[in-house]
Amino acid sequence: MKLGQYLPADTIIHRLDPRVKIASVLTLSLFIFGATPPEIALISLFLIAVIGKTRATLAQVAAAIRPVAPFMALIFLVHLFFTEGEPLLALPALSIRITAEGLVQGTYVTWQFAGLVITGALLTMTTLPSDLVGGIERLLRPFSKVGIPSQEIAVMIAMALRFMPMLLEEYDRIRMAQMARGADFKTGSLALRARALTTLASPLLLAAFRRADELVLAMEARGYRRGPRTTLRELRMGEGDFAAFAVMAAFAVVLCGLRMIS
Amino acid sequence: MIRVEKVVHRYEPEAPDVLRGISLTIEEGSYTALIGPNGCGKTTLIKHLNGLLRPTAGWVSVDGMKTTDTAKIREIRRRVGMVFQNPDSQIVGMTVEEDVAFGPGNLGLPSAEIRRRVDVCLQMVGMAGLEKRPPHTLSGGEKRLLSLAGVLAMDPLYIALDEPAAYLDHAGKHRVLEHIRRLHREGMAIIHIAHDMRDVAAADRVVVMDRGQLILAGTGEEVFGQEELLTSVGLDVPPGGGPIC
Repeated sequence: MKLGQYLPADTIIHRLDPRVKIASVLTLSLFIFGATPPEIALISLFLIAVIGKTRATLAQVAAAIRPVAPFMALIFLVHLFFTEGEPLLALPALSIRITAEGLVQGTYVTWQFAGLVITGALLTMTTLPSDLVGGIERLLRPFSKVGIPSQEIAVMIAMALRFMPMLLEEYDRIRMAQMARGADFKTGSLALRARALTTLASPLLLAAFRRADELVLAMEARGYRRGPRTTLRELRMGEGDFAAFAVMAAFAVVLCGLRMIS
Repeated sequence: MIRVEKVVHRYEPEAPDVLRGISLTIEEGSYTALIGPNGCGKTTLIKHLNGLLRPTAGWVSVDGMKTTDTAKIREIRRRVGMVFQNPDSQIVGMTVEEDVAFGPGNLGLPSAEIRRRVDVCLQMVGMAGLEKRPPHTLSGGEKRLLSLAGVLAMDPLYIALDEPAAYLDHAGKHRVLEHIRRLHREGMAIIHIAHDMRDVAAADRVVVMDRGQLILAGTGEEVFGQEELLTSVGLDVPPGGGPIC
């Protein structure tokens, strides 16, 4: 749940236009996917510099990675044990064989994974969800000519984000109500506990549908209908945003240049 | 003026009538209390006032515009604001200010005007300073006031409220009711569904519904004097026979 939760602060990164941040995250992600060793070093330094600017503590960054840490460990181990090549360590009795290639490959993939998660988390930690939605909407707007309803998508995302905590509350309430009537979600075999949890699914779904019905009425009552609408905040690029965009573009040029040389 | 003329409503063709020929007039600036036992059709009735429901028979008009006129429906919904019973399912914004901005945004107002309305309306309900709060962190009373602010931001002439004081503690209830009374004093027409008759002491007209029909209408004193009739439909009469302020 804490994956990259917004951290209120007033830094250069926080103040940036969400569009600049989203574009930067996309660009960085592309570079992370295909990074060569010198690029890895540059991107890592760049990310560390940005983290410094956001004034996020190491603990906060670690907290953003923590939910996906088990997957990262798993990916690392799979590459470590199952890559063919020069054995570094072999224990035939346990049929374990670690290769140098496996170690390199595992480290690389784990770095990629961590890089992507941190890049994404930097965006969500420094951008209010509503600004994020606004940014996505504005970036998608040119595509509305080819039939992508950017404003509807924005309303949908906003609604999903709004109702997430409410559904969690609802889930808790239903679980408590069932526990009060003797349901047991904590003991017994895994299969038994899984079955107990499925009894929560239908009341939760019903509650969600009922809410959706009420919500539609409330939205209509406030004049909502498909099509153009306006918002509280109109995004406007300032000097800082253009500067950040330039920095990001320069960084991309350097990375591309490096690739051409090598 | 909102006119409800011989309205019959049925949710499904086979289902029984929920409203059975209701006629009612709501004047600008008036305060109408709507009371009646559970399931008598109060909520169904107010959903007709802004065209969320269409009459099976009869008609409803708002300042001369029929609610069946699809070209006028947005203007009708702007004029007749509606605060539903459950605030949780009518707050659509991720933050308090975004929620208040939802209605004006639907009206297509420029950002600067939306900003102005958000600030004015949050000030009006005493929620200035909570602009950035996510709605799920608000108290029950604050959620009601937020849904009221969201409706006020549409600049309505009439506001229909469905049990705005339900499930609130004493302080929360008092705060919400005080805001409603103030809006009325400032000229807003109020249609207030209430369960507890003491909540609608400020109303200048009380309308009693039972099984889809209006059975009684008049000033508070006139209606609460009819103790026998009220008790017969399962309503408690406030002690002393009249409303308590």
